[in-house]
Amino acid sequence: MPSILPALEWLEALAWATAIRESNWGYPIMETAHVASIVAFAGVVMVMDLRLVGLAFAQTPLTRIQRPLFPWQMAGFALSGVTGLLLFVVDPLRYYGNVFFRVKLVLLALAGFNALGFHLTIFRKVGRWDEDPLAPTTARLAGAVSLLFWSAIIVSGRLIASNWFN
Amino acid sequence: MSQAYRESLWLFTVTQTLHLVAVSVFIGGILIVDLRLVGRRAVGESHAAIARSAQRVLFWAGPAVLITGIPQFTSNALRYYASPVFALKMSVLAMALLFTATLRRRVVTADNDRLPAWVPRAVGTVSLVLWMSVAIAGRWIGFSE
Repeated sequence: MPSILPALEWLEALAWATAIRESNWGYPIMETAHVASIVAFAGVVMVMDLRLVGLAFAQTPLTRIQRPLFPWQMAGFALSGVTGLLLFVVDPLRYYGNVFFRVKLVLLALAGFNALGFHLTIFRKVGRWDEDPLAPTTARLAGAVSLLFWSAIIVSGRLIASNWFN
Repeated sequence: MSQAYRESLWLFTVTQTLHLVAVSVFIGGILIVDLRLVGRRAVGESHAAIARSAQRVLFWAGPAVLITGIPQFTSNALRYYASPVFALKMSVLAMALLFTATLRRRVVTADNDRLPAWVPRAVGTVSLVLWMSVAIAGRWIGFSE
């Protein structure tokens, strides 16, 4: 299998990547924007998950929670994605071998599949259970899994900087 | 005890990690109401019910934020005490708490139709900015030393 290392080395050597990496403010600004947007994004996703699981907002139909939040969730995800990508691109070799970085990427993919699966299946029939304080088991499961994944994504993101196992 | 904690980098990191998860849920409980105030999507009953439920989320997430936040401070009290960004975070936090417990609380529990449209919008925006500033200042503490 061809390694992607040469591509990462090429990225790292780019003039603008080097300039941002070596500037005093580049990393703190990108990292702070990344953390702030993840906290906001994960926050509005997890309150929706709490409704799905049945731990909060039971008196409110799910779609009354989900519909107004959806554009903000997308905006938060886009912002954290762009800042995350930027953090990686200017210093790829720092992250490439980091075990928590890899775990975080896998978890992101799994959280994405979980959300996609939820939207393509049980959420299609939301009209039938929208007002039920307790959602169907599949929906509750998807909510619980999402809570777990997003918490783990925050945890692994923080641990990237911990230097364990490096 | 503080010394043992400070010397265990492992414990500090774990506490900070849990702090971040608790903060996310707390911010979620704030934003779900603020975004409604700003977007004016709220209508009648569901609005009040959401605000009440959000308060319960804050009631559980708030202590979790404190329990995971205070040990970080006490283990490095002198360093944080000297940090201007930490002082900033605590000042903005005090403002956010005060604003949430007074003006925001009044607007959130008020009868929507009786308020001019700009009031919930302004209160939602101020709350959102204040709480996100607390989070941003919190991350910045680590860069300011």
